[in-house]
Amino acid sequence: MNFKGTLPTLILEALNHEPSHGYRIAQSIKERSHGVLDFKEGTLYPALHKLENEGMVESYDGDEKSRTRRYYRITKSGRRMLARDRAEWRAHSQAVTAILGEA
Amino acid sequence: MIELDRWLTQATRHLARDSAAQVRGEIQEHFELSREAAMAGGATSDEADRSALHALGDAKTANRQYRQVLLTAAEARTLRDGNREAQAVCSRAWLKWVIFAVFPAALVVAAGLFFSGRGSAGRDVLTAAIGICPLAAALLLPIRTPAWGRVFRVVKWVALVGALTLIYGPETIKWSWLLISCLWPLALSEWRRASIRRKLPVTSWPRHLYL
Repeated sequence: MNFKGTLPTLILEALNHEPSHGYRIAQSIKERSHGVLDFKEGTLYPALHKLENEGMVESYDGDEKSRTRRYYRITKSGRRMLARDRAEWRAHSQAVTAILGEA
Repeated sequence: MIELDRWLTQATRHLARDSAAQVRGEIQEHFELSREAAMAGGATSDEADRSALHALGDAKTANRQYRQVLLTAAEARTLRDGNREAQAVCSRAWLKWVIFAVFPAALVVAAGLFFSGRGSAGRDVLTAAIGICPLAAALLLPIRTPAWGRVFRVVKWVALVGALTLIYGPETIKWSWLLISCLWPLALSEWRRASIRRKLPVTSWPRHLYL
């Protein structure tokens, strides 16, 4: 399965509830997938930058335990894109399930 | 940590200086958090370092992906050169007037050549003037949105290619090797500028990037 294509959607989902920094986004994805989606964390930041270039997320400097960290938050465009991706994924997975279920 | 430095050196290859600094900052921050989490889980310092580095994955893959979203050294150079050229033209009023004067001067020369019976040379001068007309127009036109920038670029290339095709006429195919060898640096620069436009937010585009 091509994980690379779904990483941006998973990042948007992780940011949908609250702003977060890169490390927490990566851990959130791994924990919520119960370790199934164990991707290489070095590829997270290029995906974040791409989302930022497209206006889906925006970054800012925040404080955590008196250290400055780069935080990301989802934008309105990002929420719209997430809703679209969710609908597409549901339709896609229902179709595949219907076929594999018949096999 | 040596292994992390090696990973970062590989991951930041061919990136612009600012892009490389950004990558180093975010990966180092990520590495520290990952290392702290591993040590909080009972790992030793070395084990935590190894685990954090392993979690980052392949540096070459990261580099390939970074080069698609952050400015590369070549793109940063293209941007700097464009800024320098734009500044050179805009800061010298006499140069702007020279560029504005080229098109009407070429029309006058072409008219003179037509009237003196050298129609073919007149046609070539007129066609060359049409080809470089977008250069003068760029200084005047209020191109400040990506959509208008796209329109201008299409017109610019149609004028350039059209002018060259008219000049060479039926022998364009025969001389295409010469045209390609002269125009490929321009095409490469245009390719880089398209890539820069994808990577920079519109609000930070210098004016020449629209053109």
